[in-house]
Parts: sequence; C-alpha cells; structure tokens
Amino acid sequence: MRSSVRASKPHRFRRLRLAGGLFVAALALAACNAKPPDPQAALIAKGRDIFFNETFDGNGRTCGTCHREERNFTIDPAFIATLPKNDALFVAEFNPDLKQNFENPRLMREFGLILENQDGFDDLPNRFNMRGVPHVLAQRTSIASPQGPRTGWSGDGAPGDGSLRSFATGAVIQHFTRTLNRVAGVDFRLPTDLELDALEAFQLSLGRQGDLQLPLALRGTVAKRGQEIFLDNGLGKCNVCHGNAGANLAVGNNANFNSGVEDLPDQPARLTGEKVPRDDGFGRPGDGTFNTPPLVEAADTGPFFHNNAVATIEAAVAFYDGEAFNNSPAGKFLASTDPKGVGIELDGTQIAAVAAFLRVINALENIRQSLELLAQSEALGFFERAQARQLLKRAVSETGDSIAVLTGGGLHPEAAADLGEARRLIERAVHSLFFRHSLVREAIQAQNRARAQLIEERK
Amino acid sequence: MTAARIAVMIAAFCAMSHAHAQRATERYIPLGQSPGVSQRVTWIGEIAAVDESKRTLTIVEPAGRRTVGITEKTRIWLDRTKLKQPNLTGSFADLQKGRRVEVKVQEAERRQAADWVKVEIAGP
Repeated sequence: MRSSVRASKPHRFRRLRLAGGLFVAALALAACNAKPPDPQAALIAKGRDIFFNETFDGNGRTCGTCHREERNFTIDPAFIATLPKNDALFVAEFNPDLKQNFENPRLMREFGLILENQDGFDDLPNRFNMRGVPHVLAQRTSIASPQGPRTGWSGDGAPGDGSLRSFATGAVIQHFTRTLNRVAGVDFRLPTDLELDALEAFQLSLGRQGDLQLPLALRGTVAKRGQEIFLDNGLGKCNVCHGNAGANLAVGNNANFNSGVEDLPDQPARLTGEKVPRDDGFGRPGDGTFNTPPLVEAADTGPFFHNNAVATIEAAVAFYDGEAFNNSPAGKFLASTDPKGVGIELDGTQIAAVAAFLRVINALENIRQSLELLAQSEALGFFERAQARQLLKRAVSETGDSIAVLTGGGLHPEAAADLGEARRLIERAVHSLFFRHSLVREAIQAQNRARAQLIEERK
Repeated sequence: MTAARIAVMIAAFCAMSHAHAQRATERYIPLGQSPGVSQRVTWIGEIAAVDESKRTLTIVEPAGRRTVGITEKTRIWLDRTKLKQPNLTGSFADLQKGRRVEVKVQEAERRQAADWVKVEIAGP
C-alpha cells in the first residue's frame, strides 16, 4: 500500500529537478534585484544600526532611547507613559549608581524633561538644566551658521570641534554612563571615528534635505491666512528668524536668540516645586540664548521650547504674543525694527491661523516622507520583504502623524479621511505576502489625494 | 521698515553671538581622543617648562617646542582614565614638568593662549 503512494524514481527525479530549477530561478531573481553597493547608503545604514542598538558599554541607553523613530525622534509624556518600567530611559529608577543627580524621574515622566550638565559636572546637585528632547530631523538644513555648527537646544551641544559628528561623544558621556564617575573605558566606551562618521551620516539623512520655498499654494482658508501672517514682517514677523518656516534666518543661516522662554511665568516643571535651575543657554556661563529650531517639523514634535514649557503648537505661537517674548532681547530687537515700536502682537484668530499653517506644512512633510518610504518599499522585491516591512511601518507612523496633526487643529477632514485610508492600506501591505505592491500603489494614490486637498499641484 | 533693512539689522544682531564647542563633557574625553580636535588643533607632548610669572606652558611635541599662555579662561583637567579614576578639574599647579599633556589653543591663527589643557595622570 505504502509503495503505491510513493513516487517512482523517475517521478522523484523530476520533482527534484523542478525544485532545483525553482531555487536557481529564485537566486537569479534575487541577483537581478541586487543593486550595486552604495558606500553612502551603507554608512547611513550602519549609522542607523548604531543609533538604535549601540549602548557603548554604558547603562543600556542608545541614541534611540530618547530620540524614538516612532515619535519623530523625540519623546513626550504620553509616549513615556507607554514604556515598560525597565526601559533604559528610566535607568535612574533602577540603577542605584544613577539614582541621584542623573535624572529627575518625576520631571521626566510628567514633562518629558532630561537632565543635562552643560555648565559642568562640579556641582551636580545644583548645577544642571532640565531640557526636552529635540528631534533630530532636517539637520542637513538647520544647524549651519557662519560662526560654526549649532547643535542641541543652545547651539553648543557637542564637545571636540562642536560639530554634529562630535555630538555623540558628548551624549555618551552625559547620558550613557554607568556611574557618575564617567570614566571612559569603565563607565562607557567612546564612539570610534567610524561610528561618529556613520552617526553623522545617518542623522543628516533624516527628514528634509532642504528648506521650503514660501509662499506655498495652500488650499485651506485659515492655513493660507496663517501663512500670510507668518510671512508679514509687519505683523507675525515669524519669517525673520524662521525663514521659510525652517531654522535659518530669512537672510542666512542658523542663529541663537534670547527670546525670553526662561522668563515665562508658571512653567510646568517649576510648578511641581522640584528644583529647576534657570537655564542660561549658550556658553559657560551662558548668555541666555537658545538655538532657533525648524518649524516645518514642529507640530508633531511637541512639547515646545527647550524646557517643554507648552504642549500645543497653538500655545507655542501664542508665546510670541506674550510679555516674556516682547520684553526679551529678541522681542525688543523686533520692536526696534517696527515703525510703531511693536514686537509681535497677534489676536486669538491670528494665533490659530499661524498654528494652522504650521500644522498643514507639517502634514505635507509627513505625506512627503510617507510617499518616499512607500516608493522605496515598492522598489523592493519579493525576497526583500523584511526590509520593505520596516519601511512600511515607518510610513504607517508618518501617516498617523499627518492625521493627528490635521485633526488636532480641526483642519482638512477630507484629507484626514484619505490619509486614514492610506494608513489602512499600508497596514495591510505590512502583512501581505503577495499583494504588497498593489496595496502600496493604492496607498500612494490615497496620500496624493490627501496632498492635493492641502496644496495646489505645481504646474 | 523694508525686509532688506530688517535683514541687515538681524544679521548684525546675530553676529554678536559666536559658536563654540561644549566644554562640560570635554573633561571626560581622554587625552588625544577629542573628536575633530585632537591632533588637528591640539598639541600632545611633554611639559618642558612652566613659567609661573608669565603664566606660560612650554611643551615638546613631535613638531618641536610650543609655548602657550594659560589665562583665567583656560580650563585645566586631570585625565585619570589610565587609573580608571574619574577625571578632575585641575589648576596651574598641576602643570608639572615631565607630565604628558594635550593642549588646545584658541583660534588656530594666533596660537597664543590655551583654550584647555588635559594633564595625564598615569600614576599615584
């Protein structure tokens, strides 16, 4: 009986030949898909791996511990609340050597604040700053200045030559150490030259590679008015320091300003009664100035300002209408350029309009990045599913951001619906074995429909 | 006021601020390992002479003898990495003949005053 169901020898041979042929065909297909090695792409990929996985023999943290990709390379209290207790972010809560003077767990959990020692390590209980986590997007176009690169919140975040490449060395010493002795080779190892090169290449690859050219042909009534106010040097005056809604002056590169954020009353961290020394910003001793961040990425990377002082983009815009800004050196300077001696004076509807503009350009950037990720995943073959899946998951995240940014401001509900459809299609594509490409193509169409509702297509 | 005039004023306003590297974490970087700086704009060598009255430091490095000023702004750090001990803030008195040091000078063109000096402490 058994012999009757077993294949005869010639039959088995034919099956073996068929399987062999399929295997060879698969290899040939994979070979056809293989692209010539790109050294820069390889360096960026290495940088990505280091950024998210390398602990530098320290306390378990990586760059990605605070700069989370799924949170636009920053973190906020809502995200922090989702993390397990043993996440390396909370190392001060479970490593006895880091219990004192390394972080303030309460301020970290309530306001997303991280402890920094820019003014030195000689008096840890008293000399420190509590700062938010800046996103690391669009650095290609955001940190250059004639005086040198400006990294971190106060523009002086990197040791060595002060460059973005050197930044990781300082971050390892500040945030990755096993003990407060901070001995290289004991509490951590310092990044190698190759690792610094790779980290720099990866960071520069993130987000926008150039500035927008405003004005954009926006379709939304309120966002369009917000853009006008933003660009009006006699009203919003935003474009003076945030040229084209980026991090550079309208007339040049990145710069530092004392905009009075430290003078805001009722700063959330200080309301707790926890010790929060005044942050003196750039230099040692500081001159009170902070670095201008890009605005295109602002709406989905709150809380805002170096001290996470406010949680919404509307409140961030409103800050510039307040006394803290208008009495600051930057505010007074703006007033000195105004024929009526006014700094920035906006009404509620105007504040909402500027915020709507910032929300829409953020959503457009999310869509741009999603389309880029979808196109990259579409170009990958059947045997590169794992890589494609990673790209698609990032596209899901970006698309989710665009929806949140628009709906959070009550803007463009139809576009948000299209983006919702795009997200569903991408989520299906993540899990699909055979229909990934067609689902991705449909998602691209939905993204483009959403985009077309936000902005007129260039002819 | 025209945009061009505002632009000029802003440019002048910003020219007041200079850029520089962070010094706080520099203290913990062992001698010769400062990224983008070590052996590019620093000298590494042995202290040959210290002039307390003139507040100068002379070191012998591969390219010859170098003399730099030590000002109030010069940071002096004791690099105790080889002892597996934490690095400390030092003082002029720690600049002792025979010790190995790394010196970063201010502004490469002038090379007059030291921005920081790391003194290697290799033994007890």
